[in-house]
Amino acid sequence: MDAVQVAIAEQVAEQHRHHGKAQFFWVWGALLAITGIEVFLGYQNMEPVRMLTILMGLSLIKAGLIIGYFMHLKFEVSRMKWLTMCSLVFCLAMMCIFFPDAFRILHLGVK
Amino acid sequence: MADVAVEQHGVAAAYEPSLFGTYSKKIGMWLFLLSDSLTFGALLYAYSYGRISTPNWPTPFHSESIRNATLMTAFLLTSSLTMVLAVRASVFGKGKAVRGWLLATMACGTAFVILHGHEWSNLIAEGLTLPVFPAVPGHEASKEFANVSRTVPQFPATFFGLTGMHMLHVTLGVIYLGIVALRKKFIPILLGLWLVAWLATPSYSPFHYGAHVLLLAAIAASVIVFLKPKVYDSSDVEVAGLYWHFVDLVWMFIFPLVYLMSTRIL
Amino acid sequence: MASTDLVHAHAAPQGFIRKYIFSLDHKVIGLQYYFLALIAVFTGMFLSLLMRIHLIWPTAQLPLVGEIKPETYLGLLTMHGTIMVFFVLTTAPQSGFGNYFLPIQIGAPDMAFPVLNMLSFWTTFVAFVVLISAFFVGGGAPLHGWTGYAPLSALPNAGPGQQLGADLWITSIAIFCVASLMGALNFITTTLDLRAKGMTLMRMPLTVWAWFITAILGLLAFGVLLSAGILLLLDRNLGTSFYVPLVVVNGQVMGHRGGSPLLWQHLFWFFGHPEVYIAILPGMGVASQLISTFSRKPIFGYRAMVYALMAIGFMGFMVWGHHMFMSGMSPYSAFAFSLMTMAIGVPSAIKTFNWLGTIWGGKVRLYSPMLFAIGFVSLFVSGGLSGPFLAQPVLDIPLHDTYFVVGHFHLIMGVAAIFGIFAATYYWFPKMFGRKMNETLAKVHFFVTLLGTYAIFMPMHYLGMAGQTRRYSQFTEVAYQTKLIPLQTFMTYAAFVTIAVQLVFLFNLFWSMKKGEKASDNPWEATTLEWTTATPPPHDNFGGRTPVVNHGPYEYSVPGAARDYTMQTDPATAPVD
Ligand code: HEM
Ligand SMILES: [Cu+2]
Repeated sequence: MDAVQVAIAEQVAEQHRHHGKAQFFWVWGALLAITGIEVFLGYQNMEPVRMLTILMGLSLIKAGLIIGYFMHLKFEVSRMKWLTMCSLVFCLAMMCIFFPDAFRILHLGVK
Repeated sequence: MADVAVEQHGVAAAYEPSLFGTYSKKIGMWLFLLSDSLTFGALLYAYSYGRISTPNWPTPFHSESIRNATLMTAFLLTSSLTMVLAVRASVFGKGKAVRGWLLATMACGTAFVILHGHEWSNLIAEGLTLPVFPAVPGHEASKEFANVSRTVPQFPATFFGLTGMHMLHVTLGVIYLGIVALRKKFIPILLGLWLVAWLATPSYSPFHYGAHVLLLAAIAASVIVFLKPKVYDSSDVEVAGLYWHFVDLVWMFIFPLVYLMSTRIL
Repeated sequence: MASTDLVHAHAAPQGFIRKYIFSLDHKVIGLQYYFLALIAVFTGMFLSLLMRIHLIWPTAQLPLVGEIKPETYLGLLTMHGTIMVFFVLTTAPQSGFGNYFLPIQIGAPDMAFPVLNMLSFWTTFVAFVVLISAFFVGGGAPLHGWTGYAPLSALPNAGPGQQLGADLWITSIAIFCVASLMGALNFITTTLDLRAKGMTLMRMPLTVWAWFITAILGLLAFGVLLSAGILLLLDRNLGTSFYVPLVVVNGQVMGHRGGSPLLWQHLFWFFGHPEVYIAILPGMGVASQLISTFSRKPIFGYRAMVYALMAIGFMGFMVWGHHMFMSGMSPYSAFAFSLMTMAIGVPSAIKTFNWLGTIWGGKVRLYSPMLFAIGFVSLFVSGGLSGPFLAQPVLDIPLHDTYFVVGHFHLIMGVAAIFGIFAATYYWFPKMFGRKMNETLAKVHFFVTLLGTYAIFMPMHYLGMAGQTRRYSQFTEVAYQTKLIPLQTFMTYAAFVTIAVQLVFLFNLFWSMKKGEKASDNPWEATTLEWTTATPPPHDNFGGRTPVVNHGPYEYSVPGAARDYTMQTDPATAPVD
């Protein structure tokens, strides 16, 4: 059991050795740049829902970069990518069902 | 692809190849992170729920707060960079470099926590506060923030709840990396940090009591390093890195939702 | 991965503490979980006995407890529900039997993370102690039921039990969440990584599939309950208002404003509905396993069973709102939830028909494990049929919060899952302790329990339809409800008998450990891996070797084979799948 684990870990390390360093710096730069854009947008006088959409879109891109490159998921086997990400996104998406009730509270006039 | 290569080592013959093609510890960490994302997800949904159902959500954050939070974000992103560099050094077996990059990561993380703690203290002094936080003596709260706390208690509640949970995660992350980098030697450092954080904060500050988290963590960490002493290898560094990046990732959602969407536009 | 890990893989630990208390062996941990659940179930049962007595004789002076006051009744109710749902139904079938048999059934020497496994047991234990301590603090046990609805649960001055007792309750739940997360990720990793050569996914026994899917549900559901609990603690102790709007308690305006009790319900049931499947799926796995083994037939529709498990797991996350039809939830969401809830009946029905199809025409051996498996199916059907009624908002409006719901979930979740535990106990006892349990006592236990269960819970449907409300401590004061007291009395007597016969089980369990008939390594002539190893299994399960799997898990009565069962490790013959 442990010999297997050591072997797989060595295999994974080997995979890491093939990635160039430069890629990480690019990703880091991109993340900083997107953060800059977000802060800039934060000061624009925009309709909140529109602003929210843009900010969340940008944050999703950032999340994608972090998960894909820093957390290395882009290079994992596709089964792992799909199963983990789909179950996560599905559960998070289901929670959007909370929102109609939040909107209703406004109209029901509960304090 | 990984499966095939493992077979070549000849040791895996007794088992079916791993379905996720990687070692167990990493799978375990990924699974933990999935569940932790739902924990944070639920908190963010609770925040959004409160925000939607509250008319006239205040937007009180001055450029001071935003500047500070942007700086914190930059620190966190940079810490992720140093973290991948640590992982990279570890797969090439460069022990010294690993330790250096891990320490750099911890430094960035600590900077994040300190900046954040500083901001909390400022906001509390200004009157953005929870009912249990004692008043800050000798400081006149600003009308604006005090008003927010009184009329929209959801605002400070979600702010302190969300960022507090995240701060806890960052703190534990720094400790985790400290153990991986320095093992036993980190325990006295951690205890020192605890004393500083405890004694250097005034008794009305939430961090005065919050600092005891460090003591608890030090106790847990000592149990781990003394009961299971081992040299941490590249897989341990990678797994610790996963946790660290995740903490960074969560902040990528908290920052725009909590700060940028509540900016006072000049 | 360093050399220290290897120690565990080889040498068995010495000394009482390392062997039985802080053991890393998944079998010992499984038994620890089982016995914790056993303590919990008898505690919970005792509480239910007190409740049943109070419903009939509200002013009776009981030995030890004295007279039960209404708030004490609510405290008993909360603790009964919490103990049963978390520390029995989640603990025994999944963490108990799953821990013991999942690694063996896939041919692994242990769980993927033995230390984490030990930690998750001891964390669960701490959670249990914290929960029980709620009885002994000032104010006593909380009143808010196992669902902990806000604002009752969020306001310390809302009732006597809502002070420290409620804080302990939430803390216990939060600790339990952490423990379950550790367990879940361990189960998943083990199944992904440690299957012996030849144990492909489609050769895993249905028990393993059930534990695996349950673990995934736990992983995704408990994290949400954890944050719900944290926010509740903040509301109670830091004065935030996530769940509490402007409310008046005893004529006094509370300091809260702006929160929403619906948020708690959403977060709770987002966890809560998957949780009910966490309780029942392992039982389904056990029933599938046993029905195939004792009918000497391959399970009917193995793949359909696997896909139905997956479908239930998946859809289980889309139906939580059916608990909230009466909460003021948006009617559009209610409509969607209603549709999804009806749809989830489909995979459940598939499983039921496949069980029946497996028994059909088999050479059925009616040993006690099989009886309990059949009992499981019976209870699952009886309880399941009321589900689609409750799933329709129009019907749910009069039925919600009545005894109808209590009947529904006790049949389908409560007692069905308990039957799963009993079936598993009678089935695996010979492997765990090397002896069989007494068959006569087991049969008495089965028939009395089955009839008693129906006698207690079937009348609840009538009570509910007649308008008898749930969570009332006393019916003597309400005119239309007093007419139903005779039926309640009948149920209480049925409960006396049913509870008494559980002592027979307890006796049988401990007596058979010492005195039971010695069992061979494979007393039931079953096929899965646990029956290929010694009894009880050695420290690393297979004595230094790793089995090689050549067959599916349910090859019974294969035409042309010498025996009527083919072990999974038997040499591969001509065409196997
Ligand atoms: C055909 C499948 C099922 C359907 C359509 C169904 C439907 C429902 C509905 C609509 C309710 C809410 C009733 C109310 O509060 O007014 C309910 C309650 C409940 N169900 Fe089911 N159910 C099904 C299967 C299950 C299963 C398999 C379990 C557990 C293993 C279960 C456990 C529960 C529990 C524990 C409650 C009550 C929780 C409480 O309020 O304390 N149900 N069910
Ligand atoms: Cu449900």
